[in-house]
Amino acid sequence: MKQNTLLLPNRYKAIGWLIFLLFTVLGFFCILMEFKIPGFQLYHGIGGLTEDYNLTNELAVFGVTMGLLMIVFAKEKCEDEYISMLRLKSLQWAVLLSYMILIVLNFSVYGLGFLMLLIYNMWTTLIVFIIKFNWSLYKLRKETLKNEK
Amino acid sequence: MKNSLRVQRAIKNITQAELADLIQVSRQTINTIESGKYVPSTVLALKMAKVFKVTVEEIFTLDAED
Repeated sequence: MKQNTLLLPNRYKAIGWLIFLLFTVLGFFCILMEFKIPGFQLYHGIGGLTEDYNLTNELAVFGVTMGLLMIVFAKEKCEDEYISMLRLKSLQWAVLLSYMILIVLNFSVYGLGFLMLLIYNMWTTLIVFIIKFNWSLYKLRKETLKNEK
Repeated sequence: MKNSLRVQRAIKNITQAELADLIQVSRQTINTIESGKYVPSTVLALKMAKVFKVTVEEIFTLDAED
């Protein structure tokens, strides 16, 4: 049967997790300690008029996004049609839930706080998908084991 | 939709895992089909029929609700 060509090989799941975790740590350093990789910038500030344009936080966002995308798009070990269906269902769930979160935030958080949450909201769909999809797989495995006994 | 997968497997004396290997799906998928939770694609149904050397209708039959 025709395979879903958009998916990556299974090994990208592990690579994705590694990249995601590494860059999440980098991101936390950026937020909490204003960490910047020295020299990793487009331009330096000129006499206090303009600020430094350092690319460290951009790199962190890029890494976290790429890591999550790899986890989401990596094939399962046995990627058959039932798994594809679970994938689709989880995606529907993820899109719906992330927009519901957005709607709730829209009415409950204002100003700069809302903008900050929008930044994190970049990843909500991907994260909800990963949680929902893996939960479905876990339930499926448990059920199979139960039925076999 | 009803299915006689469990019976067919018993006749041929193969496990869910063995059937899964033969038609290249996961064992979990066979389990969900057998318990009636999942309706397989036509391709998969035909592959199963081929393994058991029967027609698809002998494995899968329409229910009153369908």
